[in-house]
Amino acid sequence: MSAQEKMHVDRYERNWMVASAILLVLFATAVSIAAFGMGIQVPAPEQRVDPRTVASDPNSPWSNPGIREVVAGEKYDVYILAKTWQYLPAEISIPAGASVTFYVTSMDVQHGFKIQDTNVNFQVVPGQVSKLTVKFTKAGTYNFICTEYCGAAHAAMAGKIVVSP
Amino acid sequence: MSTQAYEITPKDKNFIGWHLAVAIIALAIGSLFGPLQAFEHAGWDLYKYLNPLIKSYYQGLTLHGVLNALVWTTFFITGFLTFTVIYGFKRPLKYPTLNLIGFLLMVVGLVLAAIPILLNEATVLFTFYPPMKANWAFYVGLTLVVVGSWVEGWGFFYTYAAWRKENPGVRTPFIAFGSIITMLLWQIATIGIAVDMLTMLIPWSLGLLPGVDPQLSRTYFWFTGHPLVYFWLLPAYISWYAMLPKQVGGKMFSDSLARFAFWLFLILSVPLGFHHQYVDPGVPPAWKFIHAMLTFSVFFPSMLTAFTVVASLEYGARQNGGKGMFGWMRALPWSNPSVAAQLLAGLLFFFGGIGGLANASYNVNLVLHNTAFVPGHFHLTVGTGVTLTFIGISYWLIPYLTGKKLWQPKWAVAQAWLWFVGMIIFSNSMHILGLLGAPRRTPLNLAPYIPAEWNSRLFQVGIGGAILFVSGAIYLTVVAATFWSKQPATEKVEVPVAEALQDPALGPAWLDRWTPWVVATLALIVLAYGPMLFDLIKNIALTSPGFRVW
Amino acid sequence: MAKKNSNDEFRPQGTVAILVIFVITLVVLWGSIYLILLGRGGTV
Ligand code: HEM
Ligand SMILES: [Cu+2]
Repeated sequence: MSAQEKMHVDRYERNWMVASAILLVLFATAVSIAAFGMGIQVPAPEQRVDPRTVASDPNSPWSNPGIREVVAGEKYDVYILAKTWQYLPAEISIPAGASVTFYVTSMDVQHGFKIQDTNVNFQVVPGQVSKLTVKFTKAGTYNFICTEYCGAAHAAMAGKIVVSP
Repeated sequence: MSTQAYEITPKDKNFIGWHLAVAIIALAIGSLFGPLQAFEHAGWDLYKYLNPLIKSYYQGLTLHGVLNALVWTTFFITGFLTFTVIYGFKRPLKYPTLNLIGFLLMVVGLVLAAIPILLNEATVLFTFYPPMKANWAFYVGLTLVVVGSWVEGWGFFYTYAAWRKENPGVRTPFIAFGSIITMLLWQIATIGIAVDMLTMLIPWSLGLLPGVDPQLSRTYFWFTGHPLVYFWLLPAYISWYAMLPKQVGGKMFSDSLARFAFWLFLILSVPLGFHHQYVDPGVPPAWKFIHAMLTFSVFFPSMLTAFTVVASLEYGARQNGGKGMFGWMRALPWSNPSVAAQLLAGLLFFFGGIGGLANASYNVNLVLHNTAFVPGHFHLTVGTGVTLTFIGISYWLIPYLTGKKLWQPKWAVAQAWLWFVGMIIFSNSMHILGLLGAPRRTPLNLAPYIPAEWNSRLFQVGIGGAILFVSGAIYLTVVAATFWSKQPATEKVEVPVAEALQDPALGPAWLDRWTPWVVATLALIVLAYGPMLFDLIKNIALTSPGFRVW
Repeated sequence: MAKKNSNDEFRPQGTVAILVIFVITLVVLWGSIYLILLGRGGTV
């Protein structure tokens, strides 16, 4: 009995392998279209900060967290400071149709930041700044919630965005 | 492959049995909190009765994650692989003392880690993300558990080398082959967590470092965290590929493809950890995308496994007179609890695979990250695909080790079905809640943002948890009653090891060569992790002091 | 049954049937989550 160099593969199983590979390529294509064609992207490194001073250093935007108008009614930047167990600010008002970029960092432990009914959902890591943009087309109230365990009152950690028509 | 019986010495049986004992006790305590968490979601808070023993939902969740995901799995796996190595090679361990030392290290580590958890000094969940800071004993204990499992792995490697010397040119028996790969994967995979512990977390917890770099620590953690799931899974695959077919009266459909799949798991399961960090701020999207594509490729050997395993089952069922496109499934021995448990585990694992692929699909993760979808998913994989399979294995392994008859096999069959039904209800509602936006790791009843529309789903989580609780209780009863039974087995327990349809020795020789695969594994890790890790380490910022926030 | 032939005789048609159902389920479930993703809009 000598070993062959080629593997014996059943015909049905070979077809299955080909079909699986095609399927995976299709899924990969679909996510690529969403990412590169439709702008649904994951966070990219934005900047590093020192979590020990990020809330107190006057040069740090998170020493005075909140909304910054870039183009009135159209474009806003929002700096949010996450800490146990709240967001600063916890409430934000935005006109409908505006595109809003969130810059979130933590001054203590890790947190999460997820705006319900949007694709903004990221980890908040001390020392790093998480950034994503969302365009609020529909008026209403959007909760943002902490999705990472951050201690005793983690479940209560949330805020809201009021989108006015 | 010769499958003639080989008798394991009573001493080795005893040694394996100790692994299972620790594993099952961990599962018993750990799983107790699962239903409590599910009840909390449904609005039935039982934690107030546990005070002051258990002080919070989160302390319970830490116990649940650590005992189930880390302790139950690791102890069962090292025990089961000790069995498959000895039985597969048909020789005793080369250095039994080495394996004993490994086991003892694991036990000492477990005790060391358990003390601060029970004292509420390490309520950091099983992922212990810094800068949340636990008592040092927690980190040292977990590290010892890992080191102990390494040492047991070395014991397997020495045994393999000894077998190879005695059997030059012979094809490595499949169950032993799979065991060695599993342990090799584990040694490589745990480098991440070892570096994390030794260079940051332990010195920091002892006060020797002023702070840690949370982003770097997350990266180390997930270097280990993803292949960790293959460490859980591969022992179950060994059973599905090579043991379950025997139990259903069949053969391994393809020995060669099974080995090929194991090699692919070794190569592909480490260099894709960024798929747990898709929404991390400190990792560039390009790297995340590369890891996403590698993740898609590791789905391939799982698809292969699905085919080979189901075909082996179908072959067995048809040998037993099974007929029809689907009717053959009725010819499987469902009344054998070990078979029923593993078949049901495999069935739910299909759905675990679907959820896993969704999680892994790059930006799709924006919908799912840290939502209830994630625990919904992994209770189908590790919580059922792996756990219910291990339970199924224990239904023959415990009688084999103890020489006692399994207590009330009918109850054991019922246990498997209850787990199956409870898990469907539980995990279906968790998946849906996650898609609606419910976070994980959160006592949802205390959350201010839960809309009333979610209540019916939350209620179903509780119902699933209640059924699972009953299933778990039956399992423990069966195990305990078997163990303490005075009834010796009437007939000898046969160890199920399936023959292959085609003689494994006819498979290509490259399937039994180690160097090229190991080199490829390491090379791919360096390519996929090297540049990013280098960058993070170069810019390391130990700027996060510790916090005790519970 | 001779060992060599058994593989040639056995056609795993039931396996293929199950796996076809699996793939359809996979595509439907994955696809529905993908549609949720598209529905929730861009992030850049
Ligand atoms: C007895 C049946 C079980 C029930 C009812 C159950 C229930 C739950 C629930 C509701 C959660 C989510 C908690 C949250 O996110 O706030 C959870 C988390 C978890 N479960 Fe289970 N579980 C069970 C068994 C298992 C088993 C057998 C395993 C693994 C072998 C397991 C592993 C985990 C892990 C790793 C977590 C995540 C912990 C974390 O987020 O830190 N569970 N379980
Ligand atoms: Cu938080």
